[in-house]
Amino acid sequence: MKPAPFEYVRAASLDEAAALLRRGDLDARLIAGGQSLGPMLNLRLAQPGLLVDITGVPELLAAERTADGVYLGACVTHANVEDGRVPDATGGILARVAGGIAYRAVRNRGTLGGSLAHGDPAGDWPCVLPTLGAVLQIDDGRSTRELPAGALLRAAFEPALAPGELIAGMRLPTLSPAARWGYYKHCRKPGELAEAMAAVLWDPERDILRVTLGALDDAPCALDDASALFGRSGSRLSDRFDSDAVDALLQSRGIDDPIAQQMHRVVLRRAVERACA
Amino acid sequence: MTAIAINLNGRRFEADVSPRTQLAELLRDKALLTGTHLGCEHGICGACTVLVDGAPARACITYAVACDGADVVTVEGLDDDPLAAELRAAFREQHALQCGFCTPGMLITARDIVARLPGADSDRIRLELAGNLCRCTGYLGVIQAVKQVVDARGEVAPLLPAERLGPVGARPCAQAVAPPTPIATTPETVAKVAPVPVASAPTDGPAPQHALARSLAVTAPVDAVWAQFADVVALSRCLPGAEFGAPDAQGVLHGRLHVKFGPVRAAFEASARQTTEPAERRGRLVGQGRDRLTGTRVTAEIAYALHAADADTRVDIEVRYGLSGRLAQFARGALAERFADRLTADFAYNLERLLAGAPPDATAPAADGLWARLLKWLRLSNT
Repeated sequence: MKPAPFEYVRAASLDEAAALLRRGDLDARLIAGGQSLGPMLNLRLAQPGLLVDITGVPELLAAERTADGVYLGACVTHANVEDGRVPDATGGILARVAGGIAYRAVRNRGTLGGSLAHGDPAGDWPCVLPTLGAVLQIDDGRSTRELPAGALLRAAFEPALAPGELIAGMRLPTLSPAARWGYYKHCRKPGELAEAMAAVLWDPERDILRVTLGALDDAPCALDDASALFGRSGSRLSDRFDSDAVDALLQSRGIDDPIAQQMHRVVLRRAVERACA
Repeated sequence: MTAIAINLNGRRFEADVSPRTQLAELLRDKALLTGTHLGCEHGICGACTVLVDGAPARACITYAVACDGADVVTVEGLDDDPLAAELRAAFREQHALQCGFCTPGMLITARDIVARLPGADSDRIRLELAGNLCRCTGYLGVIQAVKQVVDARGEVAPLLPAERLGPVGARPCAQAVAPPTPIATTPETVAKVAPVPVASAPTDGPAPQHALARSLAVTAPVDAVWAQFADVVALSRCLPGAEFGAPDAQGVLHGRLHVKFGPVRAAFEASARQTTEPAERRGRLVGQGRDRLTGTRVTAEIAYALHAADADTRVDIEVRYGLSGRLAQFARGALAERFADRLTADFAYNLERLLAGAPPDATAPAADGLWARLLKWLRLSNT
């Protein structure tokens, strides 16, 4: 279907974009690559009055190494990451995740910031970036603030951004060489929206054990300290994995359908096994 | 309308487009290049895949205005392309097309695979083609054709796309633009609809498919709580986004329910009726609504029963609801259900506040994770 009519502006600066977003009379919405919003527009589920295209704002395409990791601008695409066109501090993790998002034709336009701000619970970045300890740079054209990636989504499709605020970019810390990473998502078909996903980061040197569960029909469940899920005895992380604790966690998130529980449990176990492989 | 210019198949092409014009529509309707096909129009099927700045992109979820200055190549533009010529020959040999509808998108994607992934094996080719659906299910021939070209090319350096970071098609924007004039798409401009008659139970709306139940403990005597429940307008305000006036002569409330769900906004024209059984301290609110913006209908039934518990009150609430239309067809049913669950949790939360004498809280409890705790109390069942 064709979208309902909307106005369109290509912003030249963050300031300009933020000012348009703050105006109450425009019903404005940001668009970056539009690979998630586009379908909603075409299905007429979303009918904004104005789209503010931020892909022409130069600083949103930043990609640089920093003292403690890398900084990536919000409009860097999944394909840019997949192709190793931006610096990496994760030993290739980002590129592998990026390559598994949707399809190449979508990855060539879909952006990191857009995926995060859209907040689809089945999105890869809302699950992966909190686990990697990403810190988002939020900008309203006048000032910036930092926000841990795990604190962005309050609920599905609901980022914790005030009117006029947008994600300008993100800092990703360097992982230590001993860090173990496990990521697994279950899709009925490659490129389809995931039905369950899990990310595990175990970095003993930095005393980190993080787990995020994604594709929950709600905001991802990001555990900054996931040690409660690994309470059993054993030398390997996968031996210590406690299914009962995972079930309790799923129950607490309102997931009580046995099939959904089983899917999320198995997906998390596979992510843990990959971290130990 | 916006004037744009693209480099289309090696030639400058200028057009006046409305912002909602898809790149695929520009190619098909204005440039008359009908080799690019439109299938699903939401980025899934791959029929509209074209090369933008040398890389495959979906022309259905890429708007023409976002491609001003971009380089676009359609299947027609690949006539003299050596790689595409090899692929066309292989497609013929391997019987890689039947009806041909998906073929333009398949060729664009295949060209990208061959250029970007030298030496790709059949599994990788199959994976890379996952975003191009063939309604004749002729995938085997397509995979064999791509494999044939990959093998014939052997060890070559991969051709990576343009140097520029960011979405293909996008260009840096040098100058500020004039702020737009607001256009009228807000629900306020939607024509008034005739009130929906409400029977004692929903009759012509979607049948309730979902139910949830919850109990509240209220520190107030049962008669005081019952009196509060008689104020149906105050009760309706417990639902975030609800605006209802006083009941009409037939006892029917009319109003609106505004719903925001990420980029999705709906404004349901709604009506509801309250019936009570004072002797049993039981009652129900039955309502239905229609959102003209998204073409969605909803029916809802809220049954409540009050029980004295020593000096306090236990309120049992059961909500049943049904959705039909576009929002319900949004292929992510569980999300819509979870959203309805949240509305119910918000209602219960505000009801507690109301009974405690506090005003309704417009900010959803979701903001502080409270609703996740509330959900623990909700029992979900499909009826």
